[in-house]
Amino acid sequence: MIQIKHLTKTYGAKRALDGLDLTLGAGVTGLLGPNGAGKTTLLRCLATTLAPDGGTVSAFGLDPADRVQRTALRRRLGYLPQSPGAYPHFTAFDLVDYVAILKELTDREHRHAEVRRVLAEVHLTDQARTKVRKLSGGMRQRLALAQALLGEPDLLILDEPTVGLDPEQRMAFRALVSRLGESRVVVLSTHQTEDVAALCERVVVMRDGRAVFDGTPGELAAVADGRVWLSDAPPATSELFWRTTDGRYRTLGAPPPAADAVAPGVEDGYLMLLGEAA
Amino acid sequence: MSDWHIPDDLRERYLEGRLEPALAMSVDAHLGRCAGCRAAVPYDEDWLEASWARLETELITPRPGLAERLLRHQGVPDHLARLLTATPTLSRAWLAAVVAVLAFAVLAARAQADLLPAFLVVAPTLPLAGIALAYGPRVDPAHELVAATPMSGPRLLLTRATAVLAVAVVLAGLASPLLPAPPGLSAAWLLPALAAAAGCLALSNRLPVPVAALAVGGVWLAVVGAGGLAAGWPAVFGPAPQIAYGAAALLLTYRFHKVSTR
Repeated sequence: MIQIKHLTKTYGAKRALDGLDLTLGAGVTGLLGPNGAGKTTLLRCLATTLAPDGGTVSAFGLDPADRVQRTALRRRLGYLPQSPGAYPHFTAFDLVDYVAILKELTDREHRHAEVRRVLAEVHLTDQARTKVRKLSGGMRQRLALAQALLGEPDLLILDEPTVGLDPEQRMAFRALVSRLGESRVVVLSTHQTEDVAALCERVVVMRDGRAVFDGTPGELAAVADGRVWLSDAPPATSELFWRTTDGRYRTLGAPPPAADAVAPGVEDGYLMLLGEAA
Repeated sequence: MSDWHIPDDLRERYLEGRLEPALAMSVDAHLGRCAGCRAAVPYDEDWLEASWARLETELITPRPGLAERLLRHQGVPDHLARLLTATPTLSRAWLAAVVAVLAFAVLAARAQADLLPAFLVVAPTLPLAGIALAYGPRVDPAHELVAATPMSGPRLLLTRATAVLAVAVVLAGLASPLLPAPPGLSAAWLLPALAAAAGCLALSNRLPVPVAALAVGGVWLAVVGAGGLAAGWPAVFGPAPQIAYGAAALLLTYRFHKVSTR
């Protein structure tokens, strides 16, 4: 459905995307990677807000480089930017209503019904008349998510959607996104490996503008197979270890003395893959 | 609670609206506290759902502002009125145009004849200032979010620019009679203003809007200002140049439209 070929984007001397190739289909795909890996640049190219320097993107057979096809693609996408910005004096309802107009929902009754629907989806109906400046960070993030859901888009692009959400809200978000991913293409970037493990069928790890891993969360965890250990004493050599809440040391890499092997998680695989760059 | 329930014949007469008001009110009161009798009253599910939806919208929809209500009253479609009045950057653009033109009017009334050439040269750049403030990542805090919608780009820019231009033209037009010159000459800024705005829009296909506005404004001030000083003001605002400004406005608008819809 979405084909990305040899995509490049450069900011000055920095190559944000370096000949990236990727194909995305229905379901939830998570992008993981350290800061500066190119996740946001990729999502902006997909969302048609940034033109790549080279390569092509084709979404549902539409080419965003062509103005007419770009507009057609925008009719089918919902986008939550990393920094959505906001008009603080708007009410929550006004903000979503405004974006709904920009999404060409011109009939007032239909538009308002859609605004009500998406506000209910993110549990903000009770805050509909509250000014944006009075909403908490988590509520603003949910409001930004609400506008992305307008018009039931075929392609949903979410850049760090769980930032600012408390654990309960994150659970609700996961339920919502996994439901949406049943029938559409959802791409999200995150630093939270738990989110990837919980709701993504596929994970792409990026580094320096390239995809260095593409597979299921289970396959990412398997990268650290046989290399995760728990020990009572800190390792003498490994640099990838930390003290857990039960006072033991979790080590990635060579086993410390008297260590127990443990099953790896997505985070272990990610850390193993990227090492200190993570 | 009573064991009494509404008999079938009474319910039938109630539904047909054949009960005396006092008896109908008694039935209403009973329905309010008896779920069993309520369940026996048929209702139109679609109608009920639509009514609840309308009620909910009424409760959570903020009242439109004065400007939006005025535009709607003048026949502007609901969504367009909202689009024009809700954009913070556009409000600022309008404010910039209002302040600049009113300042001109006050200065004109005070300084009299010497100010006419300056007014004619500067007035066409006022809409440019407004357009520069109407669209783009530097002036719109939610630009990234807006930019991914189908209305963004030239369509939104044109909508906002038209609104800015209309306000600037009307206000500058109101200021014109305050100037000590024949009406024809004091309104000679109008076609140049349209040409400058169209040039800015056409250039915005290649440059960010504020840069395009600065470029067009700079070229206008340099060329026309220098030309006016060298050859006299009628040479740059007379009938022949006016035809050229009008033709340029048409050509550039066509160019913008063509590129925007390509």
